Amino acid sequence: MNYDWSVVWRNADVLWEGTKVTVFLAVTTMAIAIPGGIALALMRLSRIRTLSIASAVFVELFRNLPLILVIYSAYYILPVATGVRFSPIATAIVALGLNVSAYNGETFRAGIASIRQGQSEAGYALGMSRFRVMIDVILPQAVRRVLPVLASSWVSLFKDTSLVSVISVGDLAFESMRVRSQTFRVLEMLTAMAVIYWMLGYPQAKLVDWINNRYRVSE
Amino acid sequence: MSLDFSAVFTSWQFLLAGVGDTLALSALTIALSLVLGGAIGLARCYGPSGLRWALIFYIDSMRSIPVLVVLVWTYFALPIVTGVTLPPFWAAASALTVHISAYVAEIVRAGIISVRPGQSRAAFALGMSRTQAIREIILPQALVRMLPALGSILSITIKDTAIAAVIAVPEYMNRSQTVAGQSFHPIEVFLAATVVYFTIIFPVTRVVDIVYARLAYLGRS
Amino acid sequence: MNQGCSKTRRAETGSIPTVAYHDVKKRFGNFVALAGVSMEVRKGEVVCLIGPSGSGKSTLLRCTNGLELIDSGEITLDGEKLPNDWDGMRRVRQRMGMVFQNFELFPHRTALGNVMAGPKSVLKQPRQVAEHRAMELLRKVGLADKATSYPAQLSGGQQQRVAIARALAMDPEIMLFDEPTSALDPETIGEVLNVMKQLAEEGMTMIVVTHEMTFARRVGDWIVVMDRGAIVEQGSPEQIFESPTKERTRDFFSHLGWSG
Repeated sequence: MNYDWSVVWRNADVLWEGTKVTVFLAVTTMAIAIPGGIALALMRLSRIRTLSIASAVFVELFRNLPLILVIYSAYYILPVATGVRFSPIATAIVALGLNVSAYNGETFRAGIASIRQGQSEAGYALGMSRFRVMIDVILPQAVRRVLPVLASSWVSLFKDTSLVSVISVGDLAFESMRVRSQTFRVLEMLTAMAVIYWMLGYPQAKLVDWINNRYRVSE
Repeated sequence: MSLDFSAVFTSWQFLLAGVGDTLALSALTIALSLVLGGAIGLARCYGPSGLRWALIFYIDSMRSIPVLVVLVWTYFALPIVTGVTLPPFWAAASALTVHISAYVAEIVRAGIISVRPGQSRAAFALGMSRTQAIREIILPQALVRMLPALGSILSITIKDTAIAAVIAVPEYMNRSQTVAGQSFHPIEVFLAATVVYFTIIFPVTRVVDIVYARLAYLGRS
Repeated sequence: MNQGCSKTRRAETGSIPTVAYHDVKKRFGNFVALAGVSMEVRKGEVVCLIGPSGSGKSTLLRCTNGLELIDSGEITLDGEKLPNDWDGMRRVRQRMGMVFQNFELFPHRTALGNVMAGPKSVLKQPRQVAEHRAMELLRKVGLADKATSYPAQLSGGQQQRVAIARALAMDPEIMLFDEPTSALDPETIGEVLNVMKQLAEEGMTMIVVTHEMTFARRVGDWIVVMDRGAIVEQGSPEQIFESPTKERTRDFFSHLGWSG
């Protein structure tokens, strides 16, 4: 069997486009999922029972479903449920956004709960309202505390974007596999795909390790 | 929006067989990953330095590459390189095991280094050998600390088996796609899939939480 | 500081106490924390609450600024009855300062940032005004040079002094101290007690829950001995420390090894 690795270089522009889509998906999703996660955490901790239960149900649902299923379901359900035609990439962002928001919701909830009660009390003793205490005292500390978890969450998200290829979103995985189908260069393209993900992911994983170490030292 | 689940009910036996495959693939992967990942984790902590570097590379690589990519490569590209063609189920089992073992190894390592150094010092002061100290003092404590993370590996594995659908493993996700395609009722089919997966995974997560709550006191030093 | 008001305390009638408790009761589940406490705190007085653990001293303090809500009875501030709901108490808390056993400085803010926290977030003062006042207060507690340090970089005694400055920044009518030196190393207790002594000399009304008997003896104007949710005995420092009338008070002192 002869290998033709030049197929990778010849299609470099397509792979580059795919990579850009992957990065775009990850960034956009996280931009939605961090405020989304904070909102879900605050709802969960709210004294209004409906909000608390709604948040708990939402988080439990998405944490216990495969992402690939959420993506497929979004693809078929969104157009019918909203009456709007969603492009594959919009569907992907909705599915990823809902999913990661749920995970972040749990992360932020645990982070907020881990802040000592005395901190809130010190805020109240100064005459701060519950709102002020949350914004000025609790959340700043909670966000710092969950930074390592968010960093890991980002790395997972980056890898999970590959799943949107199943609904034909032109990310790195989709484009790699498309070139594979067109050129029949299976080993070369699939290996290239793995290598490119590796090159993108490895530094991110190392960065997460560094963040974890730094966090531990300052405790 | 009116829902018509008849397609799901007509194909229930077909879909149920998919549940069997999902569970079988999950169980096999978990078992293999725990063993392999455990071994790699221990080697990562206590092995010779050459081996340790190789393992660190392997673990970090698996953290960088998506499961989908590993699955697809194992099924389509591995046969070209090795001449060995694995049937879909076994390709998926191998790929998932290789991927998840890396996470298990990291969890094992995190558990081991979280045990206070004073514990091993105390063990040595009593005259224990290194192996004894590891086996009798470090690992038992490390094991309890690993439980929550290992528990989450259970649900992660079950969720990852759904990705095996793309390499034609006839597990539940794959079969749902087949039924969806044939019946023109994809919404109902995937809603049913949501119920099925939730029913499988939710109890697993809950049981893990409960077991950990019961055993947490053993790990505190 | 004994300003002499302790001797004339009970002779004054008709002047409104700064804080008054009328038959205050509080339970946590089945545990009775406060079994009907009645007492008064006069303006400029330093009242020290002493007694064994679990006697309700901290609970009484926390009920005063509404961190705990009472079950029955009433607490008044300058003669007005305090509302018994969380949001209502928020305004009241702005008039009281509280210092915690664990300091509870905000770790993500500098010392200066901590002292400014109340005026900026609650009183909505402009940055410069708050900053100026905060620096003044840090100077007062002897920590002007640590203004830009974070709590993690400060010793326990320093953190507690910043905490006192933080409470003072709200210009409170009364300062509540919940075992302010219990979490400190012996070497640093002195620096905190000195700041408290200085505050007392300046006429601040203070309620101090403490185990530091020397401080209570020297700086306190009125000593309240509590046990099991009730006041056992209260009186001037001379009376309580030198000739306690109640058995339980004597027991408490002997357990502490306190010999005056």
